[in-house]
Amino acid sequence: MRASKLNGLLFFLGLLIVWELVAQARLINPLVVPPLSRILGVFSDLVWSGQIPLQVASSMKRAAAGYIMAAVVFIPLGILMGLSQSVYRLFEVIVEMLRPVPPPVMIPVAMLFFGLEDEMKIFVIFFSCAWPILLNTLDGTRNVDRVLLNTARTFGLSRWKIIWNIILPAASPQIVTGLKVSLPITLILVVISEMVGSTDGIGYFILDSQRRFRVAQMYAGMLTLAILGYALNQFFNVLYRLLMPWHVGLMRMKDAA
Amino acid sequence: MLFALLLLMWEFGSRLSPALQSYLPPVSRIFRSLAELVISGQLVSHLMITLSRFLQGYLLAASIAVILGIVLGYFRLAHSLFEAVIEFLRPMPSVAIIPVAVLLLGIGDAMIVAVTVYASVWPVLINTMDGVRHLERTLIDTGRTFALNRRKILWLVVLPAAAPYIVTGLRISLSIALILVTTAEMIAGSRGLGFFILDQERSMNSSNMYAGVILVSALGYVLNRLFVLGEGWAMQWRRGMLAQESV
Repeated sequence: MRASKLNGLLFFLGLLIVWELVAQARLINPLVVPPLSRILGVFSDLVWSGQIPLQVASSMKRAAAGYIMAAVVFIPLGILMGLSQSVYRLFEVIVEMLRPVPPPVMIPVAMLFFGLEDEMKIFVIFFSCAWPILLNTLDGTRNVDRVLLNTARTFGLSRWKIIWNIILPAASPQIVTGLKVSLPITLILVVISEMVGSTDGIGYFILDSQRRFRVAQMYAGMLTLAILGYALNQFFNVLYRLLMPWHVGLMRMKDAA
Repeated sequence: MLFALLLLMWEFGSRLSPALQSYLPPVSRIFRSLAELVISGQLVSHLMITLSRFLQGYLLAASIAVILGIVLGYFRLAHSLFEAVIEFLRPMPSVAIIPVAVLLLGIGDAMIVAVTVYASVWPVLINTMDGVRHLERTLIDTGRTFALNRRKILWLVVLPAAAPYIVTGLRISLSIALILVTTAEMIAGSRGLGFFILDQERSMNSSNMYAGVILVSALGYVLNRLFVLGEGWAMQWRRGMLAQESV
């Protein structure tokens, strides 16, 4: 391990110890900041009792549904918009009108249509992931090397084959970027939508704990979220390396060049 | 074209079907509500509240993050100390901080501004740090050779070189700050546009709700435009520099 990294971890650990001591000595109101040991105790209790895994599962179900739907709809749309000027013009105004809408503002709108059910959260996630995925795919498709496209046409490849064999691989770096940017957005929107209108999920759990003054439980929920955010990111990276190993190599070559 | 068609379909579909009307009132009615609410001043006061919270949070976050980012980017020791802390806090969705802020600060302006600051600090901080760290050491060494003191190196060398990174961070934070203000207003607010929208939804005033959505989006759009304008003005020197390089 690098020395600087070790320093950082030690410093972090030191801060945690200071927190513990300050809280134990009741220098700050324990109702607001309980000792770290208590938070960790509550956290492990909640994990073993199945409470936290349950909440995480219902949140992740929504997150996955919205995220995957957004990818399935907006990657093809982005490719179409990048390829055909007329499709682009058709959707341009709609995209420009909807893009500045701050995603949480869509929550009340979605509540009007879907009530407090899962569909509401899925729609909100779908909506907010749309822009990074769509715009990155669009950009990637537009920047595909013209020579590649013309070569493919010269060889008489069908439209479908061109999309599948040329455009998709060539635009994939930007598509991956869009998907990656959408990941934290998904998590944020799940949490917000569960805080505003829900009866379960990790966002609801945190807000509910605060309202009942179960402060340690609230911090345990936040800890869960931090772990979740980190894990999602790692999971994405692993998946990416597994599914697109050729791509990892390509990027490394570009970095080296 | 498609957009105009959709609007027409919306307008007439909603006029013809009363069931749809409660969800999706005709466009014309939404704009009438918007006009009425603006004229009566009701929406303007919510807008002003949201805007002032946004500005406080965003400007505070920007100043904290730029200063902290320069310190953490410039001094190796500071960076190595805080790296782990930052890496731990960053993946947590910033909205999770809202309940803590409510606990500490109650519900009110202070809480909303604090939450906004927390969330908008990250992009600027990370970008500034990166910008300063990627600075060519030769530049600093040259500055030292010319016997510039610390402060001059900071103003004349470090800040200009990191400026493009800082601007990127500031731009990302702009939309994040607006998102956090409206979210906090929805979850624990009694005034402001976020509160207004959710409140109108709960009382089934859907055309008022849509009017609020339009206003927030317009606010976001205008803020973004202003930022781009300000950026063009503030970064003029850089455009000149880049043009010169490419010649």
